[in-house]
Amino acid sequence: MTGTPGQRHAPLLEVDDLAVVFHGARGDVEAVSEVSFSVRPGEHVALVGESGSGKSVTSLAVMGLLPARSTTVRGSIRYDGDELLGLGDKERRDLRGAEMAMIFQDPMTSLNPVVPIGVQIGEVLQRHKGLSRAEAREVSVDLLTRVGIADGKRRLKEYPHQLSGGMRQRVLIAIALACEPRLLIADEPTTALDVTIQAQILELLRELVSGTGTALVMITHDLGVVAGLCDEVHVMYSGRVVESAPRRSLFGEPRHPYTGGLLGSIPRLDAARGEPLTPIPGSPNDALPWTHSCAFAPRCGNRVDECTTQTPLLKGVGRETQPGYERALRCFNPIDVREAS
Amino acid sequence: MSAERSAEPDDVLLRVRGLKVHFPIKQGILLQRTVGHVRAVDGVDLDVRRGQTLGLVGESGSGKSTLGRGILRLGVPLTAGTVEYDGVDVASLRGEQLRHQRSSMQMVFQDPMASLNPRQSVETLITEPLRAHGKPVEADTVGRLLELVGLPRGAALRYPHEFSGGQRQRLGIARAVALEPALVIADEPVSALDVSVQAQVLNLLEELQERLGLTYVVIAHDLAVVRHVSDVVAVMYLGGIVEQADSDDLYRSPLHPYTRALMSAVPVPDPDVEDHRERILLRGDIPSPADPPTGCRFHTRCPYRQATRCDDERPALRELRPGHSAACHYAEQIESGEIQPADAAEMVGTG
Repeated sequence: MTGTPGQRHAPLLEVDDLAVVFHGARGDVEAVSEVSFSVRPGEHVALVGESGSGKSVTSLAVMGLLPARSTTVRGSIRYDGDELLGLGDKERRDLRGAEMAMIFQDPMTSLNPVVPIGVQIGEVLQRHKGLSRAEAREVSVDLLTRVGIADGKRRLKEYPHQLSGGMRQRVLIAIALACEPRLLIADEPTTALDVTIQAQILELLRELVSGTGTALVMITHDLGVVAGLCDEVHVMYSGRVVESAPRRSLFGEPRHPYTGGLLGSIPRLDAARGEPLTPIPGSPNDALPWTHSCAFAPRCGNRVDECTTQTPLLKGVGRETQPGYERALRCFNPIDVREAS
Repeated sequence: MSAERSAEPDDVLLRVRGLKVHFPIKQGILLQRTVGHVRAVDGVDLDVRRGQTLGLVGESGSGKSTLGRGILRLGVPLTAGTVEYDGVDVASLRGEQLRHQRSSMQMVFQDPMASLNPRQSVETLITEPLRAHGKPVEADTVGRLLELVGLPRGAALRYPHEFSGGQRQRLGIARAVALEPALVIADEPVSALDVSVQAQVLNLLEELQERLGLTYVVIAHDLAVVRHVSDVVAVMYLGGIVEQADSDDLYRSPLHPYTRALMSAVPVPDPDVEDHRERILLRGDIPSPADPPTGCRFHTRCPYRQATRCDDERPALRELRPGHSAACHYAEQIESGEIQPADAAEMVGTG
């Protein structure tokens, strides 16, 4: 869907028509559907959305971390050309950590509180690289230095509670990068952190990922974080992608009313004061089912009759400023280009 | 917001002087010895004018929430200093007098799910403050308050779990304004909400200020939110105010190195801005308020730190331009460029 094939590297990750269904006591819930995107080596792609948009579920499906018993994942997830759906647990485990790694939002709950961080970093190296414990310890010290933690030798013996939030997130990044994965998924990596620490961590990610050819999938609700980091942005609403575009066109000329609405409702530090915010009415809970309508219709200012009777499809649109990319839009009545600028 | 009143000096509704809140750190099981203090708020002076909005911004551990609660005397014992509200020294009030005083100072909390009793109906929730203060509850009161905060009148018989996050925050606001207070302290009023809903609540707060003539203290970690709603912004770091200025002035020409770093760290949803802005990366974390650095609290992370004076002498908040104060020994020299950041590698420019 994104880009012209054969122009650059072949995609490292290709997600095609992904659907995730949770089986609950009160019936099935389709958390994600019709999600397609691809990431090339060295490319930074963002999945943006609010709570309930399905952005985290998408990333968990890619990592193979959804419970098999209570979920059905359909569609296709190809990594380096190989289909991941249908692989056994053992094969997925071999990929996770070595080839693809994930950084989670809350480093306090994703680190084991009763195990020293040295063991937690070393574990990955021993499992995937077959290093001895002593070798793993040496590499761990190097890793900690790379993520900006000085005095690594002493730190290895410490437990997560002895570290600050920013430090814990650095440890998590060190674990994720231990085996030099080719695909890194960061799920709200800075949301739990203070702004000055967030700036440190984003700079660190930028440094570690750029130049190494690592592909990054950034999952976030914060359009500000995306603006400075990602090449391509997929905006999700209620389980589906509603707009995909390279970042400059997305921020410069948002076409989906939801994207436009999000940008209009964020107070900006550099905006003139007293400029009123234009909120999106309602809340994400108001979403309609996609089956006969657009989920965003109840909150949408551009609503037309079709929006509540038909399902909009994701379609490629218009010329684009950057070659190699195409914008895709799921909307019957998008914002005019002129109106937006 | 509506700042265009002629502000007489005695138009000050809330005056805080030398406020300190220190929490004792106790150790031992039987004899709980005090082994130290967490200096959550350590010497704060503030003036809030009637009808204006003061924004308190800071990172975690800066003491902004404790300051807010200290002003209301909400479970926070004041160690030193005075809080003068409408000419009355709140710090000296006890019992019934304090309770009475509180009816005109109300608070909006961060997490509307945790601050609303899940077993009470909206009607009970909203009238609770009135009943607690022995005020009459008229037939129309609930409906009127619900309408005021943009909820349907029919919501009165429902329970908190039936509402979305934004609607729950509206309920929290309805409770706060039920007693017709003059001062409302909002502690992180939007940080628990979805981005698309935050703007609704911010707009509601502004609208209520205009309609009810409220005075606000808005506490938040998000500088963009604070700047948007505030007339005056105070930046806190480790228990003290490091800079205070008119909201526009602060954004245009921040004087304190911490404010500069904070501003450069806030992401802006605009690729052109993001690609070309200068980023000032601070080293390390915020030190613990139980063991704050000597001298200037910020010197351990400050790129402009000058030998010995910054380490030894705590800078006072000085008025450097009319209405714009900063607590930095070298603010003038930093602004003129006379003092350059020590480690040029810390200044990262991208693009």
